[in-house]
Amino acid sequence: MRRFPWEAVLALLVGLALGLAYAWIFAPVKVADASPSALRADFKDRYRAVIAAAYVANNDLPRAEARLALLDDPDSYQALSGQAQRALSSGDALQSYQLAQLASALQGIGAVVPSSTPTEAVAPPVPPRDETPVPLPATSTPSDESAPFPEYTPTARPTRTPTPRPGSPFELASQEIVCDETLPEGLLQVFAMLTTGRRQIPGVEFILSWAGGEERFFTGFKPELGNGYADSILSPGVMYSLRAADGGVLLSDLTPPTCTKTSGENYYGGLKIILQRQ
Amino acid sequence: MKRWLWALLALAAGAGLGLFYGWIVSPVEVVDLPPETLRADFRADYILMVAEAYQSERDLDLAARRLAIFGSDPPAGIASQALQFGPSAGYSPSEMSALRALVEDLRGWQPSGGASSP
Repeated sequence: MRRFPWEAVLALLVGLALGLAYAWIFAPVKVADASPSALRADFKDRYRAVIAAAYVANNDLPRAEARLALLDDPDSYQALSGQAQRALSSGDALQSYQLAQLASALQGIGAVVPSSTPTEAVAPPVPPRDETPVPLPATSTPSDESAPFPEYTPTARPTRTPTPRPGSPFELASQEIVCDETLPEGLLQVFAMLTTGRRQIPGVEFILSWAGGEERFFTGFKPELGNGYADSILSPGVMYSLRAADGGVLLSDLTPPTCTKTSGENYYGGLKIILQRQ
Repeated sequence: MKRWLWALLALAAGAGLGLFYGWIVSPVEVVDLPPETLRADFRADYILMVAEAYQSERDLDLAARRLAIFGSDPPAGIASQALQFGPSAGYSPSEMSALRALVEDLRGWQPSGGASSP
């Protein structure tokens, strides 16, 4: 009777281990020709910021969407608005503005980057504007060979409907007196909203002015209260005006209202203002 | 002797299987890559975005900081890579013009100092 070839089995296992060690540790697959989705988080942030900056410069939303899709964010709007808030808190108002503009534009057309957007395998070269996309030269990436560029079908450019742009002026949606003893006296609460979908807009700059001074503040600093929330404190007896820095309705004669506690004592209440744009 | 031959063959087969599994079936998953690993067209598109933004912002320091994502080479040199890549990628004349303007302006650019990365 023949003996079971334990030596061969052992050698097979040793060979397997050696092969795996070589493939995973000593000579792993070399990374070249990576897509933006594989970038480290901080580089993705910088990539996203440049996408937003380019969008603000050229107003080409389909192209910005195609570029955002390369980052493979689960929700581009959230990624943009979150980064806008971080930029704002770090004092980079320009970047915050650009990110917020792109986030608003995405919401303005109700667009979420579709899941059918070309994946890394087809890695779309973002089509040049005003031109028929030209396939890029093939690269050495294996995935490119399996899904060559010529298969990329450019998205039809949407016809612009004559709706106001996302940056259209703010209008007053509501203004109400808030008598709440638990809130600071003279609290001015401002919400910046989109009429479409009632989404809040981060990174909106408001100017609160009064005789002899003004204060600027932004939405998004208190995300726990909403991405489009901002507040300030109004002093009793002073008349204020409020407007968004990029235009829109001017609200004047704002002053803390007088409210009465249950005990009959008077105190200064606050104002809650909701501004919206399309 | 024959037994050793079988063992060697098995070792080689095992190594082959291991390599196949490690390189093809389940290669090391690579994440958190630096921008230098970006494919040429993505790299060029990034530079094009910087050029487009520069057209309206006219801030060379900011453009240079954005290009510094690709390393410490002179920003004009980094930007000119996209200029060379553009024709084969079908960039439009206006895009090529934006790239050319950025490269030319960056050639005469001197860092203002104290600039931090965005």
